[in-house]
Amino acid sequence: MTDPAPLPAVRLWDLPVRLVHWSFVVLLVALWASAENGAIGLHKTLGLIALALLVFRLLWGLVGSSTARFAGFIKGPASVRQYLRGLRDPHHAPVVGHNPLGGWSVIALLGLLGGQVALGLVTQDTDGVESGPLNHLVSYDTAELARELHELGFNLILAFVALHLAAIAYYRVIKRDNLIAPMITGRRSYAVPVTAPTIAPWWRAALCAALAAALAGWIALGAPRSAAELKASQEPPPADYM
Amino acid sequence: MKLAHTALIAALLVPAVAFAAGPNIYKARHDNFEAMGRAMKGTADQFKSGNPDIAVIRANAAVLAAAAPKVAGMFPKGTGVEGNPKSEALPAIWQKPADFAAANKRLVDATKAFQAATATGDMTAVQGAFGAVGGSCKNCHESFRKPRA
Repeated sequence: MTDPAPLPAVRLWDLPVRLVHWSFVVLLVALWASAENGAIGLHKTLGLIALALLVFRLLWGLVGSSTARFAGFIKGPASVRQYLRGLRDPHHAPVVGHNPLGGWSVIALLGLLGGQVALGLVTQDTDGVESGPLNHLVSYDTAELARELHELGFNLILAFVALHLAAIAYYRVIKRDNLIAPMITGRRSYAVPVTAPTIAPWWRAALCAALAAALAGWIALGAPRSAAELKASQEPPPADYM
Repeated sequence: MKLAHTALIAALLVPAVAFAAGPNIYKARHDNFEAMGRAMKGTADQFKSGNPDIAVIRANAAVLAAAAPKVAGMFPKGTGVEGNPKSEALPAIWQKPADFAAANKRLVDATKAFQAATATGDMTAVQGAFGAVGGSCKNCHESFRKPRA
């Protein structure tokens, strides 16, 4: 009984997926620190970068590499149950990409981050001195509610990050499965032959990135819908605090 | 008749004064700042619309000019966080009364200048004066309001 020769590693996660993932790690820490220290200008800039990354990730979920696509990893409840049952079997077939439960974890995290960014866009300080770039599109009271939910949202994200780390620890310790290394190198090997994921061409990522940056830039300007609104956004800010 | 009027006015005024000085000073203070916040947002929204309505800005400037002078009298000793855990008033208000008074004056002066600018209708001047009001809000919050997480 000898172990079979290791099979060649496959490209599991493409570069855009990994860049987005680790950018969010850095951004979450920086967004929290800037908010805690009242560096609201920096906080807004980082929030807009997070917005661009989220838009990119959504586009990449439609046209990206096979392991990045929503259609590839969003599964129904039956698949999730079946996957969970299979977890107890030490010889369960490996999943190349997000497993059925992990897929929903991706959706939950993208949803939480998207909600948090949306709240940040319309939120304001109580006195209406500091505000998000889309604050003018909502009422004072809606913006106040957004401010409270923006605080709550961060706690939900923290709870989710804790769950995410607990899941990684579970796979590492119980399942002897290192999920972190492939998220860094992009590659992993399997004990059995698997179909290698299809990696999308780089120009498609560049196109998605350009679209995402354009949308975030437009929102940063207050989402102007006319030449007059665009001009207003480019004039010196109405107050020296903005 | 005149006496009845005086009595009525007194009856209305007494609770109002008690209200302002009593535990509800926190609410009165909060409401005054909130009125200013609404006027600030209302004005900023006009500038961001690309087609600012000077009538709306004038109304907001009037609210600010009326509310700003009330601030100084709304912080009697003992009305910090010790009297209401939700209060964001920092002890510095009572530790550095001269600085706090100067910050208040800056707000009052800025709101007066803003109101004066809206009377002229020169939008560049209006916008500049509005910026100075925002600067005076921020100036005071930096030293005297609990930082927001």
